[in-house]
Amino acid sequence: MKIETKVGFLFIVALIFIIGFAYTLGIINPFSNYHELTILYNYAGGLEKGSPVRVMGIEVGKVKSIEFDPNGKSETGEEVKLKIKIGISKKAWDTIRKDSRFYINMAGVIGEKFLEISPGSLEASPFDPNATVRGEDPPRVDQLISQGYGLAGKLLDIVSKNEGSVTGMITQVDKLITNFNKTLAMLDKTSKNKEIERLINNLVHISDDLAYLSTKLRSEKSEKTFEVLNKVLMRIENLDGPALRKFLQQEGIKARMF
Amino acid sequence: MIDTLGQFLIFSTQGFREFLSLLKDTIVSLFTPRFRWKETIQQIYFVANGSLFIIGFCVSFAAVVTILESSYHMKLVLQNDSMVPGFASMLILRELGAVVSSLLLTSRVGAGFAAEVGSMKITEQIDALRMLGIDPIKFIVVPRVVACTVGSCVLTIIANIFCLFCAAIICETYLGFTFGMFKTAMIRFVGFQDLIFAGIKGAVFGSIIPLISCFFGFRCKTGAEGVGLATTQSVVVGSIMIIVLDFILTYIFSYFY
Repeated sequence: MKIETKVGFLFIVALIFIIGFAYTLGIINPFSNYHELTILYNYAGGLEKGSPVRVMGIEVGKVKSIEFDPNGKSETGEEVKLKIKIGISKKAWDTIRKDSRFYINMAGVIGEKFLEISPGSLEASPFDPNATVRGEDPPRVDQLISQGYGLAGKLLDIVSKNEGSVTGMITQVDKLITNFNKTLAMLDKTSKNKEIERLINNLVHISDDLAYLSTKLRSEKSEKTFEVLNKVLMRIENLDGPALRKFLQQEGIKARMF
Repeated sequence: MIDTLGQFLIFSTQGFREFLSLLKDTIVSLFTPRFRWKETIQQIYFVANGSLFIIGFCVSFAAVVTILESSYHMKLVLQNDSMVPGFASMLILRELGAVVSSLLLTSRVGAGFAAEVGSMKITEQIDALRMLGIDPIKFIVVPRVVACTVGSCVLTIIANIFCLFCAAIICETYLGFTFGMFKTAMIRFVGFQDLIFAGIKGAVFGSIIPLISCFFGFRCKTGAEGVGLATTQSVVVGSIMIIVLDFILTYIFSYFY
């Protein structure tokens, strides 16, 4: 083989390696298998070009570009100033529906940022390629910390201004907890006493009897008895002493009344 | 002592001036016709094809060491080695591939060039060329500089990819990362510009090797001892220059990451 051919082979190998590397990194993709989607955010939380896009935790694409749009507005008229263009594999495209949500999330030891898409419901229709959708802005940790500092400052201020009251309140709470503990200990001791146990058993029996009685009182026979008794009482109510005595004598009842 | 220091300074300054003169003449000769294509291709074959096996062999071991060491240190510090493929890939592409390849080229090719030119100098072949009206820089230095620049660039790219491949194999064998996991972690840390910058580094290192070798070859003193000294000096200065240039290039490239 000629020297020129061998050198040519080496150059071809180097060129193949470069192309292979670019293909591995996804820079050149002649067999493009992606649909694009534009997501609008007001805060990207550290998302970068090339960050992974995941659906149900599986990587399905990448962030292709991040653009600032000072005059940007969403479909609802909300001001949204960041346009993030993502590529999503055609395999996963149908799982993303119009009710899907687009979160910016964090994973890994170094807190790598990625775009997580929640799968939509079957009732919702899938997106058209190159559609635009509003994403869920991630919580701003800096704001949370700032608010936390503010809250802590106010708490410290309140405590320092009412130091006596706070100390008194803590002492009262401490006493309350001590007393509550003592009460619980007493109750525990009492529940183990045999007399109390017998009393509780008797109460249980009484409640059982009462339950039995109330059941019987609700029967048809009892209702009839009550009705008869009611009628008798209604009749008796209008009678005076001699008349009542006469009534009882008629009924053959000898009783000492009034 | 002051005399020695003075002599060293004068010698260094003179040497540096001569080196700059050689560099200037080489650049001028590079753009003046006629270009010696056949000689250049032969030199590329000597530089690139001839060094391919040695460089491939050495970078594969460098990959093994990189992976094992990064794994050990990450486990020691983070109790977790999930970032090893990413960090190792970045280290290989940004430093290891280019520097190891160029240092190996310095010892193999640089020493060869210095010995060759030194021998030509002491056997008065260079004077003969001048007498024949042939510019020795255009005849000897330019084809070697072009060949070494191109060859080193190609070798660096091949060495980097081969080193990454070996690192992936080691990651799978020893650390249990699959090729897919290696690729995912690598993509997180590495960009295409890393390979381009590695190629540029390789080309710059490659261009400096024959310049230094030819410079010491032209300054070679008579006798076998002179040739040996020129060879040693070319390898030492070449290695130092590669390290220094690596720092300068890394500093420049850091603005592009």
